[in-house]
Amino acid sequence: MTPIHDQSYRRYTGVRQEPGTAWLVIAATGIRTVLTKKFFWLVLLAAWGQFFVRAVMFYLSANFSNLDLLAPSVETFRQFFEIQEIFVLFVTVYVGSGLIANDRRSNALQIYLSKPLTRAEYVAGKLGTLLFFLLLVTLVPALMLLFLEMMFSASLAFVGANLFLLPAITLYALVEVLLSAFTMLALSSLSTSARYTAMLYAGVVLFTAAVFGIVNGITNSSSLAWLSFRANLDQIGDVIFRLQPRFESPWLLSVVVVALLIGLSVWVLERRVRGVEVVT
Amino acid sequence: MSTPTRSSVPAATSESAVAPAFLSSAWRIYDLSLGQMLWSRRTVFMAFVVGGPVVVAVILRLLVTMDLVSGRGMVDGRPIIVDGPIIFGLMIWGFYLRLSVPLLGVFYGTALMADEVEDKTITYLFTRPVSRGAVLFGKYLAYLASTGLVVLPSVMLVFFLVVPLLGGDIGSNFPSLVTDLALLTVGLAVYGALFALIGAWFKRPLLTGLVFIFGWEPIVVVVPGYMKRLTVSYYLQGLVPHAMPQEGLVSTILSILQANEVLPSAAVSVIGLGLILVVGLGLATWLVERREYVLEQ
Repeated sequence: MTPIHDQSYRRYTGVRQEPGTAWLVIAATGIRTVLTKKFFWLVLLAAWGQFFVRAVMFYLSANFSNLDLLAPSVETFRQFFEIQEIFVLFVTVYVGSGLIANDRRSNALQIYLSKPLTRAEYVAGKLGTLLFFLLLVTLVPALMLLFLEMMFSASLAFVGANLFLLPAITLYALVEVLLSAFTMLALSSLSTSARYTAMLYAGVVLFTAAVFGIVNGITNSSSLAWLSFRANLDQIGDVIFRLQPRFESPWLLSVVVVALLIGLSVWVLERRVRGVEVVT
Repeated sequence: MSTPTRSSVPAATSESAVAPAFLSSAWRIYDLSLGQMLWSRRTVFMAFVVGGPVVVAVILRLLVTMDLVSGRGMVDGRPIIVDGPIIFGLMIWGFYLRLSVPLLGVFYGTALMADEVEDKTITYLFTRPVSRGAVLFGKYLAYLASTGLVVLPSVMLVFFLVVPLLGGDIGSNFPSLVTDLALLTVGLAVYGALFALIGAWFKRPLLTGLVFIFGWEPIVVVVPGYMKRLTVSYYLQGLVPHAMPQEGLVSTILSILQANEVLPSAAVSVIGLGLILVVGLGLATWLVERREYVLEQ
């Protein structure tokens, strides 16, 4: 009688991947999982709403000379990112809140790390998932808008005159999404509940904004803008887009705060993403 | 084999057939849930949300004591003076009504049923001889009690820390504190009812709630027409003037806004909020009574 299924030792017949590429598997799986959710498509569609509106405005300004008012400028691209901030918050909360918390909840972290996968690769994979969607609502539409402007006007005049826009859009989008992604991942690693993590993140972002708003109202001075999560990004954004910084606080201080927040998040992730808790 | 006697059957039936009344069932659930809500990791979140304003108030008091904040400034070339009651009004609006109350409402309101589903403990509640609606209502009461117990003392602390600053007077401003406390209670109740409905209705209640308070409400409030009536903050704004200082520029601006229907009158606000509360809670109860919860394996 032959066994139905042979459970004895078998050689691994798969392909051996080079070390350092395992994060791609986690990132790709995460992206696929999010894309299966219908509700997320609605969020994504809403996030791209501004792009479609701006595209129509660019088309009208390029084709009707009496609609010069709608012509793009550096401020247009800066405003684009400002309006996208709310969608960055929603996407960060939706995609990021459960990335590590759900694994911790189901004790999957130990299983992940028992595979040929380093902690750094695990975090990079999760980060990749979140960065993909955040860039999809910030960098990608902004660059596409720039491209559309060139195509609609059939001229390189605007892009040529504002050549710095290309690196500015890229740099600001990266600063914004890296700060959001690292902060959310760090918070996600602190809890086993995605809902709790989501509220904590939204609370931090909105509470720091409220603190700055109150202090600004009392002192009539924006020199404490660095207290706010969002105000720091706004301040850095103005400098990157070569505009007058909107707050009185030094923009370098905002850079330091952002760098500190990312550093703190990396430290939290290093402490929390461990296969086995070793009590010393 | 013995047959049941005629006298024993009705006795057993009458004992088991009498289900607890809706309110007493809700009270049992309230009793059970209150402790769970107060003594959990969520308290950290709640402490963060309501403790923040207290910390800001303490820092502000220290700064004023050290003469680092004068409360005098210039806006558009005109001198302005900010005193304790005005700062308190700012904090009530900025920290509590626009932030803490909606956030707590979304966090707890959407979790009333979702928590039990997520923890797979809803079966234990639904197999008890209490109506499903009573489960939701009891949990809603526990939410009101737990958030109220934390938010209202925080407001009291902020009041006593901030109002005496820069020439403010506690005695004359005490009625505004009572109004503020009532306003916050109404806000917690209405947002809680609305998010209980969202929690009972949607599969992803948290994001839906966040989109509502930080996407829908801020945008719609500035849109002309009737759209703003589909928000809670519009009706809460209508009650805020009573919590703000009654003299000076602020009340003048608010009265102009009310006259132009940018803000609703107090009566319209009360009716609007009452309607949202009753409809929200009623629909949530109705949905929970009829919904089939499938637990993920």
